[in-house]
Amino acid sequence: MQPVAGRTLFEKVWAEHEIMLLPGGVSLLRIDRHLIHDLEAGPGLARIERQNYRVRRPDLTFATPDHAVSSDPLRGRDSNSRGGELLREMRRRTAVAGVRLFDIGDANQGIVHVIGPELGLSLPGSTIVCGDSHTCTHGGLGALAFGIGSSEVAHVLATQTLRQIRPKTMRIQVNGALAPNVTSKDLMLFLIGRLGTAAGRGHAVEFAGSTLRTLDIEARLAWCNMSIELGAKIGMIAPDDLTYTYLRDRPFAPKGALFDRALNYWRQLPSDPDAVFDREEKFDASDVAPQVTWGVSPQDVIGINELVPDPGLVADSRTRENMRTALNYMGLEPGRPIEGTDIDWVFIGSCANGRLSDLRAAAMVARGRKVAPNVRAWIVPGSEAVRRAAVGEGLDRVFIEAGFEWRAPSCSLCLGANGEILPPKARSVSTSNRNFIGRQGPEARTHLASPAMAAAAAIQGKICDVRKFENLS
Amino acid sequence: MSRQPFTEIRAKAVPLMRPNIDTEVVIRINRLIENKQGELGRWCFEAIRYMPDGTEDPTFPPNAARYQGAEILVAGENFGCGSSREAAVWALMDYGLKCIIAPSFGDIFVANCFQNGLLPISLAANEIKAIATELETEEPILSVNLETQHIITRSDRVIAFTISPEARRGLLLGLDEIGMTLEHESQIIAAEATEEKKHPWMFPKMSAAAPTKLLILPGDGIGPEIMAEVRKVALWFAEKRGMEFELHEELFGMAAWHAHGDLMRPETWAQIEAADAILFGAIGSPDYEKIPPASRQKDHLLQMRKEFDLYTNLRPVKLFNALISASTLKPEVVNGCDMVIVRELTGGLYFGEPRGVTTLADGSRRGVNTLIYTDEQVRRIARAAFELARTRRKTVCSVDKANVLETFALWREIMQSVHDAEYPDIALTHMYVDNAAMQLVRNPLQFDVIVTENLFGDILSDCAAMITGSLGMLPSSSLGPVRKDGTRKALYEPVHGSAPDIAGKGVANPLGAILSFGECLHHTFGSPQDARLLERAVAAAVGAGVRTADIALAGEKPVTTVEMGKRVLQELDLLG
Repeated sequence: MQPVAGRTLFEKVWAEHEIMLLPGGVSLLRIDRHLIHDLEAGPGLARIERQNYRVRRPDLTFATPDHAVSSDPLRGRDSNSRGGELLREMRRRTAVAGVRLFDIGDANQGIVHVIGPELGLSLPGSTIVCGDSHTCTHGGLGALAFGIGSSEVAHVLATQTLRQIRPKTMRIQVNGALAPNVTSKDLMLFLIGRLGTAAGRGHAVEFAGSTLRTLDIEARLAWCNMSIELGAKIGMIAPDDLTYTYLRDRPFAPKGALFDRALNYWRQLPSDPDAVFDREEKFDASDVAPQVTWGVSPQDVIGINELVPDPGLVADSRTRENMRTALNYMGLEPGRPIEGTDIDWVFIGSCANGRLSDLRAAAMVARGRKVAPNVRAWIVPGSEAVRRAAVGEGLDRVFIEAGFEWRAPSCSLCLGANGEILPPKARSVSTSNRNFIGRQGPEARTHLASPAMAAAAAIQGKICDVRKFENLS
Repeated sequence: MSRQPFTEIRAKAVPLMRPNIDTEVVIRINRLIENKQGELGRWCFEAIRYMPDGTEDPTFPPNAARYQGAEILVAGENFGCGSSREAAVWALMDYGLKCIIAPSFGDIFVANCFQNGLLPISLAANEIKAIATELETEEPILSVNLETQHIITRSDRVIAFTISPEARRGLLLGLDEIGMTLEHESQIIAAEATEEKKHPWMFPKMSAAAPTKLLILPGDGIGPEIMAEVRKVALWFAEKRGMEFELHEELFGMAAWHAHGDLMRPETWAQIEAADAILFGAIGSPDYEKIPPASRQKDHLLQMRKEFDLYTNLRPVKLFNALISASTLKPEVVNGCDMVIVRELTGGLYFGEPRGVTTLADGSRRGVNTLIYTDEQVRRIARAAFELARTRRKTVCSVDKANVLETFALWREIMQSVHDAEYPDIALTHMYVDNAAMQLVRNPLQFDVIVTENLFGDILSDCAAMITGSLGMLPSSSLGPVRKDGTRKALYEPVHGSAPDIAGKGVANPLGAILSFGECLHHTFGSPQDARLLERAVAAAVGAGVRTADIALAGEKPVTTVEMGKRVLQELDLLG
C-alpha cells in the first residue's frame, strides 16, 4: 500500500473548504467568516445590490467601523465628517442585509483584526477573509485568513465563496527563546529584514518552531499580522493548548459539548510530521535584538544597536539608488547609529500592536516616567474591549499621568484614513506595520518598532534601547 | 459585473523601475475617501509623482513628455505590494494604464487586476531590463496581445508570456465572476449543508432577537395630544397581548427647536436610525418662519424617507359604516369601501434630476422636473403591491399614463412582467390616471389595491380620502426594504396634518394616529390579527356614537381627544 503523504496545516484547512476545482486550477473555496469594515462595507453592499445579488450568508458576515472613524475619545456616533458618510451607509446597508454590526458605541467595536479573535469569531481551521491585507493576523489562531480586494468582497458577499489558486507552502521555523524585552514584533521585523518583503509571495506561510510555543496568543496574532509584509497573504500558526484556552468562553466561540467537539477537530489540524513544504527557512531567535526600521519598507530594518546602512557600501547600483532615496525621505545619515535619533511622535496601537498585552508592555515603560516635552504620544487601543480592560487595570491612568494621549479604538495614525495624520517631516516611532512613503501623512517619517520600544522612545524623545531602562515594572 | 474585454493593445509604454512600489504609493488612502473610482487618475503615484510644491517631479519617468499617454507600465519587482486596496488598480486605470509588466507583483494586487481588466504580465527581470532600456532609447511603443500571449517591442522583438488560463479567459471575455460562481449554486448549498453537520460550531447563533424598538415623534400642532393616546394603546398591547417592544420618545419639530435650539439633534437622529418603527404625529407650524433659514433647511421627514429607503407608502382607505354620512358621496357609492393605495415614495417626479428653475439667455425662465423610474424601482413596488393583494382580495390596479409618457410604458411593462412571472394568482388591471381619478369617485368599490407613481399617489390618496369623509380617520405607513428578519424599517403617521388651529385644545381626533399604530401591529409586529382587533375597537367606539368634533354629526356632543382614546381602550378590553 502506498503510504499516505502527510499534509500541512494549510493543506488540511484548504481541502476542507474546497467546494470544487474550476477550470484553470482555480479552487472555489467556502468562506466561514467575512469581516467587513467601513471602507468596504457600504460600497460592497451597494455594489451587489446594483447587480441584483443578495448577501448570501448575513449570519457569517460581521461588520465594524475602524479605518475612517475618529480616535477622539469624545467622538460622536458619526465619528467625524470624513468617515461619517461611509459609516451611515454601512449602518443602513448592514441593517437591511441583516449583517451584525459592532457600531461606534457598541461594547465590541474595534479594529476588525482585533475584535475577530477577541469575540471568538476567528477559529482554528476556519477560512476568514476581509477587504484588508492584514487579515493574515487571524492566522495566529490557526485560521486560514487573507486579505481580498473590493471585487472579491462583493463576490464573497454574494456567494460566500472565493475563487482562489492554491498557493505554494512555505514553513519558517524559528527556534530558541527571545531575549528579555524582545517581542514577536521584533522577531517578525527581523525575519522580514532577512527574507525581504517579497519572500512569501505566492506562498501560504506556516510559522513553526519552539519560539512561538512560548508566546501568548496576542503575540502570535502580532506575528502573523505582518505575514503580508513578508509578501505572503496567508500566515498561520498551528493551534495548541494556549489557543484553546484563549478561545474558551469567547462570545462567539462554541460552548459546552460543542466546544469539546470542536477541540477534537482542532487537535487534528497541525501539520503532520512528514508533511512536505515547497520551501523551508530556519532562524534562531535568541540573538534577535529589538528592531527598528530605517527606511520606507518594512525590510529596511536593523537592530537598535546597529548603524544606519551606508548605500556607498552597496555594489548594485539600483539598490544603492533606492537606499539613497529612502534615507533622503527619512532624513537619516548613513553610517550613524539609529539609536539617539530625535523623534516628534509616537503611535502605539493598530491591528499589529493594539492589544491589551501591547498596552501593558508600553505601560511598563511609561509607569512613573514622563513623555519628553518635544514628543506627542498617542495610545489608541485596538478595540472597546481592550480599552475597557486597560482602564480596568488602570493603564489609562499610567499613560495619562506620563503625558500620553489616551484615545478611542480606530486604525488612526497607522494609515491616517480618518484624517489623523502626522505633519510633514515629523518623525514617528510607531507600533503599526507599514512605513511606506506617506503612509502616516505626506512626507511623514515612520520607524516601526515594538510597543515597549515606542514607549521608551516617547520618554527619551529619541529612538532608544528599551533594554537600557531600569526598574521596568 | 461584465466589463470591457481585453484583447490587444499597441500603445506607449513607460518604464518605472524602482522595486516594491506599494499600493500606498499608487494611491493614498485619503484620496479614496475623497474621490470615487473614475476620479483617481490625478492622485495616482501621488507620493512620487509631485514635488512638495505640487508641481510635477521631472525625475518621475511618466511625467516626461515622451511618455505622455502611456497605457503600459514597465515596472520593478514586487509591484503592488502592501495593502489590499483594489482602488490601486482603479487609480492605475484612471491614470490611463491598461497593462503592467513587472518581474513580480503583490498577490492581492494581481487578483484585483484580473477583477478589473488590468493585465499584469510577469517576465524575467533581465527581460524587463531589456524592454526598459529599449523604451528609454527608442520610440516607447509596445504591443501586447493577450490572445497569443505575446509582447512585441519597437524593434520587433517577440516576447512570450504566460498567464493562468482562467484569468486569461476572464479578461478576454470580460466575465462577471459572481454570476459564473453562482452557476455552481447547488454545489455551494451541498457544501454548506455538509459543513453544518460536520462542524456545527462554525455557525454562530445570532443572539435572541432584540425587542422591537418603537420611537414616538409627536411633532407639531396636535401631534403631542394624539400621540399621547397612541402611547396608551401601545402599552395596552404590551400588557394584554404580550407585544415585546422598547418604547422611546423624542421631541421633533418646533418642540425640539424650543428645547434644544436644534431641529434635529444627533441624539434624536441616532434614535431614529436605531428604531424599527417610528410612530410619527404631525409636522407643520407657522412658527417655522421664526427659525433662521440656515437652521431649517432640511426636511427631516423627507430625509427619513430617503435615508431609510422607505419606498412603499401604504394609504388604506376604509369607510367605517357608522361614519357613512360624513362622506360627501352618496352612501350607495361608498358603502363597504375598503382599498389601499400603494404609492411609490422614493422615486418618480418628486425625486428626478434635473430639476429647478433656470433663466434662459433671452431672460425668460424655465422650470424643469424629471420623471424617472428604473425597472428595479418598478419591480420592487410591484412586488409590494402584489404581496399586499395576496393578504386581501387579490386584485391590483396599476395606475399610469402609459399612453403619453414613456416612463409609464416601462412601468406598465414591468408591472405586467412581474405579475406574469411571480404573481399569476393576482388579478392585475391597468388604468390611466385621469380615468382612475374619475373611477375613484364614481365607483370606488371596484378597487382593492391601487399601485402608482409618487405624484399620482399623492393626488389620488387625497382624493380617495374624501370617500371616507374624514381625513382624521386615515392611517398611513411608509416601509423600507425587507430585512433579514422579515421586518421592514417603517414610519407610521396619520394622513391628517398638524392642525395648528385646534392644537392644544384637546379636541383633535386621535383615531388616524391610533389606526396608524394598527398598521404598525400589522407590518412591524407581523400580527394582522392584532391590527384587526384594534380596528374593531375603533369601529365599536365610533359605532357607539363616540365622536370628536371633526366627525361629529349635527346635534352630537363631541368628545375630547383623551376621552376618545379612553373609549378605544375600553372597547379593546371588551374585545381582547
